Amino acid sequence: MPNKIPEQNPRKVVIVPCSGIGKTYGTVSREAAYEITEAVRPEATQLVALSLLVLGDESARAAVAANPAVTIDGCKLACATKMVQESGGQVVQDFAVLDVYRRYKQFRPKGIAELNEGGQQLARALAEEVAAVVDEVEGGQHG
Amino acid sequence: MTKFLETSVDKFIFKVATDCYYNEEGVWARAEGDKVRIGLSDFLQQRSGDVAFAELKPEGTELSFGDEVAVIETIKVDIALSSPISGTVVQVNPAMEDAPEAINQDPYGEGWLAEIEASDWEAERSKLLDPEAYFARMKAEAENEVKK
Repeated sequence: MPNKIPEQNPRKVVIVPCSGIGKTYGTVSREAAYEITEAVRPEATQLVALSLLVLGDESARAAVAANPAVTIDGCKLACATKMVQESGGQVVQDFAVLDVYRRYKQFRPKGIAELNEGGQQLARALAEEVAAVVDEVEGGQHG
Repeated sequence: MTKFLETSVDKFIFKVATDCYYNEEGVWARAEGDKVRIGLSDFLQQRSGDVAFAELKPEGTELSFGDEVAVIETIKVDIALSSPISGTVVQVNPAMEDAPEAINQDPYGEGWLAEIEASDWEAERSKLLDPEAYFARMKAEAENEVKK
């Protein structure tokens, strides 16, 4: 009986949001990351916490090294993008919350622990933009 | 070419252009021909944070000294800026519509806000701080903020 070839885990796009606390835009980045990984494209994405990369967590580093990454930065320090790159990952697209907000002026984010309605809408809009990138990456992989 | 007074406070470096006059909140005014260009000082833009949107009074608006000339929305705050001079807005920087981050990137250059045809620049200039006076004020403010 021939050996069964083990199925390989399909590659998933890694989503790495900002880990900044006490800032509205950091919260928007994380809400968008939850939205994309839990609701919009759960089958095609996985969330990796920036703090794990900072700590040098092996599984987190392995995930970004083996998969394309989309980063969502809350400010121009761009910690998520820099950390993925330093961890050996390939950033296929980096999003800055402020740039996205400029495209959706009607969704004004406020709040830190809890976002207002504008912030939640902005997070959803950002998640949709990330989804478009994920679809492109997936299309490239499967096509 | 513009020269600057410069100081370091904590990890920040602040520049004050020596060819401008300043109101107390940090809006600069620079005479250019028969117009006066206005904008945010380096200290004001750094303290306010990354600019998301800048809304200027439209061209043709007549302003008195101290009237609101712009509202800036940043990632931290909304600030209403008062005009450092009286006159008529003759041009709004087109970059404010599409790329207001110019305020952060080049506050004394590409990030200017508007050009105003001044009613009486020579007289009103005396109400403003010269670069040295603003530099001293700004430095004291910056040092106070670091202590907080």
